Amino acid sequence: MSLAIAGMGWVTPLGTSIDSVWQRLLQGEEAPATTISEQFADRGYSVFRVPESALRGISHSRLRRASAISRFAAAAGLHALEYAGLKLESQRAERIALIFAVSNGGVTYTKRFYHEIVGSGAQAASPLLFPETVFNAPASHLAAILGVTGATYTLVGDGAVGLAAITMAEELMANETLDYCLVVGTEEIDWLLCDAYRRWRLLRMAPPIEPFSKQNRGMILSEGAGAILLARDGFVTIERAHPGGYFTRRTDAQKTLKGILHDLGQVEIDFAISSANGTFVDQAESQALQEVVSDALVYTGKPALGESVGAAGLWQIILAAQALRSKEIPPVLHANHGVPLRLSLSRTPIASARCAIVLSSGLNQQTAGLRLAIQ
Amino acid sequence: MAHADRLEITNNPARVAVTATGMVSPLGFGLAETLESLRSSRDCVTPVMRFSVTQCRCKTAGQVSDLRLLAGQAEIPRSKRLHRASHMMIQALQELVTQQAEFEPELTVIGTTSGGMSYGERYYRSLNGAGDLRHAPTWIANYPAQKPVIDAQTVFGISAPCQVIANACASGTNAIGHAFECVRSGRYKRVLAGGYDALAEMVFVGFDSLQASTPEKCRPFDRHRSGMVLGEGAAVLALENLDLARKRGAPVLAEIIGYGISTDNFHITQPEPSGIGAQQAMERALESADISAADVDYINAHGTATAFNDAAEGKAISALFNGVPVSSTKSMMGHSLGAAGAIEAVVCLLALQHQFLPANINFTTPDDGVDLNIVANEARRAVVNMVLSNSFGFGGTNASIVMRKFPPLPRLPRTGDT
Repeated sequence: MSLAIAGMGWVTPLGTSIDSVWQRLLQGEEAPATTISEQFADRGYSVFRVPESALRGISHSRLRRASAISRFAAAAGLHALEYAGLKLESQRAERIALIFAVSNGGVTYTKRFYHEIVGSGAQAASPLLFPETVFNAPASHLAAILGVTGATYTLVGDGAVGLAAITMAEELMANETLDYCLVVGTEEIDWLLCDAYRRWRLLRMAPPIEPFSKQNRGMILSEGAGAILLARDGFVTIERAHPGGYFTRRTDAQKTLKGILHDLGQVEIDFAISSANGTFVDQAESQALQEVVSDALVYTGKPALGESVGAAGLWQIILAAQALRSKEIPPVLHANHGVPLRLSLSRTPIASARCAIVLSSGLNQQTAGLRLAIQ
Repeated sequence: MAHADRLEITNNPARVAVTATGMVSPLGFGLAETLESLRSSRDCVTPVMRFSVTQCRCKTAGQVSDLRLLAGQAEIPRSKRLHRASHMMIQALQELVTQQAEFEPELTVIGTTSGGMSYGERYYRSLNGAGDLRHAPTWIANYPAQKPVIDAQTVFGISAPCQVIANACASGTNAIGHAFECVRSGRYKRVLAGGYDALAEMVFVGFDSLQASTPEKCRPFDRHRSGMVLGEGAAVLALENLDLARKRGAPVLAEIIGYGISTDNFHITQPEPSGIGAQQAMERALESADISAADVDYINAHGTATAFNDAAEGKAISALFNGVPVSSTKSMMGHSLGAAGAIEAVVCLLALQHQFLPANINFTTPDDGVDLNIVANEARRAVVNMVLSNSFGFGGTNASIVMRKFPPLPRLPRTGDT
């Protein structure tokens, strides 16, 4: 069974309108970096943040105390419905499923909640903060805003979780009692996350992200959300969602990715949206792409938008859908000309492109992929 | 088997068998110990020693022994670095693999709420207090929620992709329910499903801060109930297309025949007071199973012993069922959050296999507001053909599954049947 994209929405460090962010990417723009700090540490980290103005106009009583991750998700989800022109009446509320993809979850409130316990003891713990630390808090808020009364799921994983959520949506939509599935990937930044990824030797202290570089200099974290409304009809078809797999050692990632590409690459692939982010992922994806779909043009949006982990897969799908619709691919920023891939190093027209692969290799062992097509 | 051989076998939708299972919880290591605890209605809740609870109202939890957990896993590479949630998943999967070494899932669906939370706590405490951060990379690497699932699969050579569902306390039942639908639809032949959660200070204090946990005994559905106690553990179930399982000669321990999910949007931590969300999940599970409420012989309730949950769930059960026996096995082992639905599914499976009703212990006084047939304090023998298991969570997520004895018992007339 194939599904189609009926609506899309995103909240990114470059803005929230699908078309305006796309135009900025085509023009080779990169999100501005800011530095975040922490009260008990001297070190600051460069990140790509969502500008505060991006969430203007998103208000609901359920969001009053919600953290950024929930507000990003709500904004992206509502934009996707608006894009599709879908209004959820009560009869439809049972016929739409909601699937969330998150990685680190509500880390800011989690930190604040635990900070109070560590600093002042259990009696200082806030009953208002605790519910917002739960992984499914963002999904719960959006379900309440939309009045969804049927299936709501939150999937947790690494950067591949967004694509895993699409696979799950396919599984749910096998049930014909559903008309739509809204898939939302969301993530928020905190100093703690940056520090954790640095200790794991995956973070770069300042931009740029240099994709496919052999030095693996590291990534810059970003935040935001992406949302895809899936239906049985739409402007771009998800021809196949591969459930992915996992690797036990980083050096094995390439093998898992090749398996996915062999499965998805059984038709002519015009371009691939990679998850290359300046880490070990890049070499794994580069080698797998070279070997299996060597003729495909390759793009990664992470040098421009940063690594948004839970939101990243949804952003990749939106990028692929936009490229198929607009028949252009933006330039890959900060890439070396010697990379042995057909990289889109400048704004590239793809007039006859029909088929694209989205490939995602997470930092915590998970991988996934899917194939999109436009008629 | 003669009876089963007469069953009509259809492929659309596929019937879903449970062909193996494994679990570790405060009730015991493995099915045999768990069965013994259930039959003797043992209170497995003990004082918490893992972290300080001096400032908490609640001081107890259902806990899994580290000594026993680690004793059997010393040979596993990097065993000492793994989070105890990984050790629990390995323990549970070990038991499943021992029963069905040839079970090769195409997909794994596991529920959790907290992942490796206690490693996150250590990391934060060390950062904040200038503690020793030498082990920080290990804590960080073992913190993600998918890591215990991947660790367990790696130990047993299972390469299936993992979906980790974090629907708060409904996660385990959601995982089994989704896995059930994946097999029933024909999309997958074999899916590994389950749930895990390990006790963590932050979560413990969180429930305490909400005044959801109790300084007393956990008394689900009792008029004097005063809250929940937390628990921990892991459970996994091998779900297979029943026809294919029988073709390869695999034992069928039980069938999963229905799944219902609903979302009520009342409040992030409280259920809709009328129980409508719970009721919808149960109605959808019965509809999915194509049975009526009268066909259900036992309900393993979510039954956290909080004032709000038990009142809402009690109303929902009363509205749908007429005197069906109900118990909350959380009274014996605490609420293991993301593992609860999976552990309780295994409890239901044992009830089906061994024809008994597990008890709701610490029950003294019925709640006037809720008309339920509680299996009070002692397990009892019964004819059990179909069971329903409930799990409800923060954010208004509600899930129910229906399981059936295999081969099914002939339907006997009951009081009220015409």
